[in-house]
Amino acid sequence: MALALATERNVSAARIEDAVKIYGTGDTEVRALDGVSVEFKTGLFTAIMGPSGSGKSTLLHTLAGLDNLDGGSVYIGDTELGSLNDRHLTELRRERVGFIFQAFNLIPTLTAEENILLPLLIAGDRPDQEWFDLVVDTVGLKDRLHHRPTELSGGQQQRVAAARALVSRPEIVFADEPSGNLDSKAGSELLEFMRRAVDEFGQTIVMVTHDPVAASYADRALFLADGKVVDHMWSPTAASVLERMKTLGA
Amino acid sequence: MIRTAIKGVFAHKLRLTLTAVAIVMGVAFVAGTFVLTDTINSRFSTLFDDVYAGVDATVRPESSSMTNQSGSFEVELARTIASVEGVDRIATGVGGVAQIIAPNGDPIGGQGPPTIGSSWVDVPALTAFRVDEGNGRAPVAAGEVAIDVSTSNANDLSIGAEVKIETAAGAETFEIVGLVSFGSEDNLAGATISVFELSEAQRLFGLEGRYSQIDVLAVDGVDPETLTARLQQALPSGIEAVTGSQQTQEQFEQFTEGLGFLNTALLAFAAVAVFVGAFIIQNTFRIVVAQRTKELALLRAVGASRRQVMAMVLTEALAVGTFASALGVLVGIGFAKLLKVGMDAMGFGMPDGPLTIALRTVVVGMMVGLTVTMFSSLLPARKASRIAPVAAMRDTPAARRSLKTRALAGTGIVLAAAAALLLGLATDNGNALMLVAFGSLTGFIGISVLAPLFARPIANLLGKPLPGIAGRLARGNTARQPRRTAATASALMIGIALVAFVSIFGASIKASVGDTLDGAFPADLSIRSSNFYAGVSPAAMDQLLNVDELDTVSEFFFGEVSVEGNRAMVVAVDPATVDAVYRPDASIPMDDVGEGVLVRSDKLEVSGWAVGQLLTIEYPSAQTIPTEIVGTFENQNFAEYLITTSTYSEHFPGQSAVMVFATLADGFDVAEGQAAAENALTDFPSIDVNTQSDEIAESEAQIDQLLGLFSALLGLAVIIAVIGIANTLALSVVERTREIGLLRAVGMGRRQVRRMVRWESIITALFGALLGVAVGVVLGWATVASLAEDGLGTFALPGVQLVVWLLVAALAGVIAAIGPARKASRMRILEAIAYE
Ligand SMILES: Nc1ncnc2c1ncn2[C@@H]1O[C@H](COP(=O)(O)OP(=O)(O)O)[C@@H](O)[C@H]1O
Ligand SMILES: [Mg+2]
Repeated sequence: MALALATERNVSAARIEDAVKIYGTGDTEVRALDGVSVEFKTGLFTAIMGPSGSGKSTLLHTLAGLDNLDGGSVYIGDTELGSLNDRHLTELRRERVGFIFQAFNLIPTLTAEENILLPLLIAGDRPDQEWFDLVVDTVGLKDRLHHRPTELSGGQQQRVAAARALVSRPEIVFADEPSGNLDSKAGSELLEFMRRAVDEFGQTIVMVTHDPVAASYADRALFLADGKVVDHMWSPTAASVLERMKTLGA
Repeated sequence: MIRTAIKGVFAHKLRLTLTAVAIVMGVAFVAGTFVLTDTINSRFSTLFDDVYAGVDATVRPESSSMTNQSGSFEVELARTIASVEGVDRIATGVGGVAQIIAPNGDPIGGQGPPTIGSSWVDVPALTAFRVDEGNGRAPVAAGEVAIDVSTSNANDLSIGAEVKIETAAGAETFEIVGLVSFGSEDNLAGATISVFELSEAQRLFGLEGRYSQIDVLAVDGVDPETLTARLQQALPSGIEAVTGSQQTQEQFEQFTEGLGFLNTALLAFAAVAVFVGAFIIQNTFRIVVAQRTKELALLRAVGASRRQVMAMVLTEALAVGTFASALGVLVGIGFAKLLKVGMDAMGFGMPDGPLTIALRTVVVGMMVGLTVTMFSSLLPARKASRIAPVAAMRDTPAARRSLKTRALAGTGIVLAAAAALLLGLATDNGNALMLVAFGSLTGFIGISVLAPLFARPIANLLGKPLPGIAGRLARGNTARQPRRTAATASALMIGIALVAFVSIFGASIKASVGDTLDGAFPADLSIRSSNFYAGVSPAAMDQLLNVDELDTVSEFFFGEVSVEGNRAMVVAVDPATVDAVYRPDASIPMDDVGEGVLVRSDKLEVSGWAVGQLLTIEYPSAQTIPTEIVGTFENQNFAEYLITTSTYSEHFPGQSAVMVFATLADGFDVAEGQAAAENALTDFPSIDVNTQSDEIAESEAQIDQLLGLFSALLGLAVIIAVIGIANTLALSVVERTREIGLLRAVGMGRRQVRRMVRWESIITALFGALLGVAVGVVLGWATVASLAEDGLGTFALPGVQLVVWLLVAALAGVIAAIGPARKASRMRILEAIAYE
C-alpha cells in the first residue's frame, strides 16, 4: 500500500503558481516571494535551499496554508487554498498536511504519545494502531512514549515531531530547518528517518534547510534567492549543493 | 533603573490594566463609602442646622444617660418657662408615631425611615416644618392634617382628600389641608410626616394636657447659654434645658446613627474587595516576574544589583498602584453618586447639592490602594531580585521551593487561624468579633498557602470528565503551574466562602426558628404592628380582650434600661397570662417574680451574680431602682432580663406592647381565631395577626431578604475574583502564544482553542469554589456550634444553595474566559510560531 503511493510520482502533491508575497509598503516593501512557480510531485523529498532572507520560510508557510499570498495560487492536491476559509484551512492542515518546525514542536503538558497523536486527537479520530506502531518504531521512540517533552533530548523531541507529522498520513509534510537546532548525530538520525518515510511509506516531504549535508538526503534541491527560484538540482550531494550555494553568495 | 521600570509599565498595557482593575475596585469601594457618608452627613447637618437655626434653647424631660427614650411634662410648665427672663417666645409641642394609611388600605412606610407625627408650631423660627406657598395651609382644627409633600405625591393624596391615619388610639380619618416640607426638603430622608393641630395631636398621642418638648426663642441680646442656665434654674427636677445647638446636634446624631450601619457595611465590603484584590495583585506580579525572568536576568548579567532589580519591580508596582488608586478614588466618587441615585429611587430622599469630597477620602483611598499594591508586590519583587544572572541563558525557571516547607507553613497558619477562630467564637466579650475576623483572614491566607498542594490532583480530578483534546489540554494547563492556579482560585475562594457561610448561617437560623417557635411559644396567634416604630397600643389591646374566639391574650413589652451601668434590654411579661403562650423555662413560677427581676442563667454566670442579690437598674425616667434577682430563666429568644408588666408600666407609662400572643378559646380553629382578631382590629390597619406558620414564613422571608442582600454584595468579591481569573488567563495565554500557534498549525480549530481556555478557566474557578465551600462549611459549622447556647440549635447544610454557588463559580469561569479565549483563538498562527 505504501509502495502504491510511491509509484504515483507523476501526481502533484502540492504546487504553487506565480506566487507573490509582499511585506510592508513603500520604502520598507519586501517581496518575500516574487513570482515563484514550483510543483512537488508525490513521493519525492525536496530540499529548499537559499540564503537567509531569500523567502524559504515564506514559501513553506504559504504552501502549508499558514499564510496567504498577495498574488498567484497554491494547491494541495487539487484544492486551491486561496478559496478556503479559516475553518477549511484548519481542517486541511489537520488532515492533509504535516509539519515539523525548527523548535518548539511539542506541547509540554502532553506525553510523547499524545503529542504524536495530536492531529488525530484534535480531529477526534481513532488512531490506526498498526500505522502508529510502525511510525513509532521507525523513529525509535517506543520506550519514550510516556515521557514528557522536557524529559526528552532535542533529537528525540524532533523525532516526536516528525512522527506527529506522519501519523495522520498527510499528503505532504513540510519541515522548516527541522535539524537546525540539533547536533550532527541527532540531525542525521532525524534526516535518516525522513528519508525512510519517503522511501518506505511513499511520503512526500518538502524541507527548508541551509545545510548542504541535510539537503543531500533529498531527491531534489531547489534554490531560492530574493524571492525567486533561481535553480534546481536532482539527487543533490553535499558537495554539489555547497558549490551551488557559493555562487548564490550565501 | 527607574526609567526602565516606568517604561516596563507602559510597554505592557494589558498587564497594567488588569492589575489596576483589582486595585481600582477596592479603592473605589473605600472612597465611595466615605464620599457617600460624608455627603449624607454634611447635607443633613446643613439641613438640621437650617431648620433649627431659630431655636435658642429647648426644654425636655431629662432622660437617663443610657437611653434616649423621651417622656413628657405638664402644660403648666410652659407658663413658668415663658416667664423666665430673656425668653421672647416659646413653642410647645408633642410628637408620636403616626401611620398614614394609603387609599388602598395598606400602611405607608414604617419598615425603614420613621413615621413621624407632630403638632403644628405657629412660630416659624421655632419649627422645622413649613407650608410653602400653594401647598395649602397649616392644620388649625381637629380632623385636619398636613402631610409631607413626598408622601402626598407618591400616594396621590392631595389637598382636600381624606386620609386615614393610625395612632396608638386607632385609625381616624383626617382631611388633608396642607402639605409640609422639612425645611427646604419635601420630606426627611424618606420619613412620612403628619402634622396636627396641637390639642388634636395631644389627644392622638395620649398626651392630653402634656407637652413632650418646648422650644424657646431668646430676646435680642441674651445668648443661648445664659438663657439655658436661667431656664434650668426655673425647672423642676427631672426636666432639663439645653441650648438649641446642642439639641440640634443630638437630633442630628440620633438621625445619623442609623447611617452608621450603612457605613460599617460598606466598609466591610470594601475590606473584602481589597483583600481579594491583594491576592490578585500578588498573583499578577508573580506571573509578570516569571515571564520576565530572562529580561531581569539579563539586567543582572549586565551588572544590575539585586537591590536594583527589586527596586525596579517595586517602582513598577508603585506606578501601577498610584495610577490605579487615583482611578479608584475617581470611580469611588462615581460609585457614591450611583448609590445616592439608588437611595433616592428607593425613597431615601436626600437634600440636593454637590458630593462632599473630603481630603481624607482621597488620602485614605490612595493609602489603601498603594499599601495593598506595595505589600502584595513585595514577595514577587523579592523573587525577582533572586533571579540568577545565568537564568538569562537558561530556558527553565529556577527550581521551586520545596513543598514540604509550604505544607508546614500553610498548616501552621491554618492552625493559628483555627485557634483564633475558636477562641473568638468561645469568647463573649468585645474581642470576639476581632478574633473571628482575624481568624478568618488568616485562615484564608493559610488555605491559599496550602492550595498549591492540592491544585494538581484537584485540577486533574475536575478536568477528568472533560472530553477531547481541549479537555486534556485544559487539565494539563491548570495542573502545570499549581501555584498560579491556586493563587487565582484563592481569590474566588474568599468570595465563595463568605457566601457559603452566609447561606449556611441563614439555613441554620431558619431551621432553628421552627424549633424555637414550637418549643417556646405554645401560642396560636401572634399579633404585631407592621410599623417598626409602633406596637400594639393599649387601645388595640382592649379590642383584643373582647374577642370571644380568643382565650388568653398576653402582652410582651421590650424596653431599654441600664443594668449596673450597662445598656440592656428587658422583656416584660404578664404573670397572669404568660404561661399559656410562652415558656421561658424559669427557675421560679412567674407569679413569684413580683417586683424583682429574672436574669438569664448564662448572663448570671458570666457576670458572677447570685440569686437574691440586688441589681441597680436605671430607667429612662432617670430613676434608679435597686432590684432583686429573684430567679433565673433559660430561654434565649428575647432579652437577658425579664420583669413583670406591672413593674414595667411604672417606668414606661402608656407604652404599646411590642407583641401580643394569644391562644384560642375552646371550639375555635386557628382560622376563626385569626379572622376574629383581625376583625376586632379594623381600626388598626398596621397591626397584623399571624398564625405560627405565618410567623415562620415571615421570619424565613426576612432571613432570605437579608441573605439576598449579603449575597448580592459578596457577589462583588466574586466579580473581582473573576477579573483575577481573566487576568491570569490572559497572561497565561500570552505566555503560551507559541503553543497555541502550534496547536492551530497542526489543525486545531478556533472553537477548540476557545473551549480549551474556557475549560481551564472553569477548572480553576471550580477549584476555588470547592475550597470556598469547604472553608464556608467549616466556618459556618463552627459559628453555629458556638451559638448553640444562644438558641441556634440546628446546623443546616443548604445543599441546593451550595450547588448553586458552585454553578455560579463555573459560570464565573466561563465569563472570565471570554476575553482570553477570544484572544487565544484570534492569534495569528505565524506570529505565534515566531513569538519569542
Ligand atoms: N512578518 C514579516 N514581516 C515583514 N517582513 C517579513 C516577515 N516575514 C518575513 N519577512 C521578510 O521576508 C523576507 C523573506 O523571509 P523568510 O521567508 O523568513 O526568509 P528565509 O526563511 O529564507 O530566511 C525577509 O526579507 C524577511 O525579512
Ligand atoms: Mg526561515
